[in-house]
Amino acid sequence: MKPIQHLLLILLSVCFLLLGCGSESNSSNESDTTNKVVLGKVTLDNAWARPGSQQGKSAAYLRISNGTASTDTLLSFSSDAAESVELHESIKHDDGTTSMQPAGQQVIPSTEKLQLQPGGMHLMLINLKKDITVGDSLRISLDFARVGTLTATVPVQIQQ
Amino acid sequence: MNSTLKSLLVSLLLVATFTACGPDALYDLSEDTFQLRDSDSTLVNFPADFKGDVSLITFIYTNCPDVCPAITANMTNIQRKLDDTTGINFIEISFDPERDSPSVLKEYRDLYGLNEQFTMLTSHPNDSDLLLDKLDIVAEKTIIDSLGYDSTNYAMRHSNTLYLMGRQGYIRAEYPAHRVTSEHVKDDINYLRSE
Ligand SMILES: [Cu+2]
Repeated sequence: MKPIQHLLLILLSVCFLLLGCGSESNSSNESDTTNKVVLGKVTLDNAWARPGSQQGKSAAYLRISNGTASTDTLLSFSSDAAESVELHESIKHDDGTTSMQPAGQQVIPSTEKLQLQPGGMHLMLINLKKDITVGDSLRISLDFARVGTLTATVPVQIQQ
Repeated sequence: MNSTLKSLLVSLLLVATFTACGPDALYDLSEDTFQLRDSDSTLVNFPADFKGDVSLITFIYTNCPDVCPAITANMTNIQRKLDDTTGINFIEISFDPERDSPSVLKEYRDLYGLNEQFTMLTSHPNDSDLLLDKLDIVAEKTIIDSLGYDSTNYAMRHSNTLYLMGRQGYIRAEYPAHRVTSEHVKDDINYLRSE
């Protein structure tokens, strides 16, 4: 056999192997995790929020990594610390001024990250239910179209 | 006109220009006085009270959720990165005097742990525009529907400016306040200190 045929054969076997595993895990019981296919995850990390006072506002930042094989879309947000949560972005205008506005719906392609950071996008916590100070920790939930709701634990910090 | 006379005239002109504005001055505050209040409610004559030192001056509002805290963080970063901070003032002026009373500024400076080299300034709402206009600082209230809007609840569209003022009250350099690196500002500060 030529080398290219070898390669094709190997690739073909790998495909069969994967198919085999896939169907096996589909048929297996959900609680049996030994043969489970790892689908990849959407992960949240580097989360932190600014201090704020009751009835006031705060901004939270985090990194969203789409480790799944599909595009996912951020639908909505909520937090135990605020009446509502919105995704905003700071916009730099041609005249050099900066303002903030709601960011549109965010689509995160497979393997890509969405970084929320000062001067870019933030989660705006609106009408805080109580004062939040350095050392406190909040919970913020993000609803995705495909993977559902993910919750991040968010420490309150001062930006350094 | 002979060439000697010509060059003498040019030199005189140059000297006149430099002594009038200082080299590279963006704004001349050397003859101005703005009466502002600091976070202890003490009356401050700006910039007279800071003359003789080099001053970094920026503009914020304390209800700012995103960009202004980044500006303040950058100011403290610059302060930390300087080997020697003697003869330097770090000044933050509120462009939202309606909400930023001296006591609100006090809370903000405590929150960010700003030391005595920092001065937070505010003014009477009626006087605020004089200084802002002079320095081309834009600040206007904005409405975001979902946030609601009333006389005490608004966001602002604003300049994102850091000025460096020399010892005589001339603004000599301008930077993007939340992005400029400390290395960049450091060289300019050292240059102004060496004059
Ligand atoms: Cu916002």
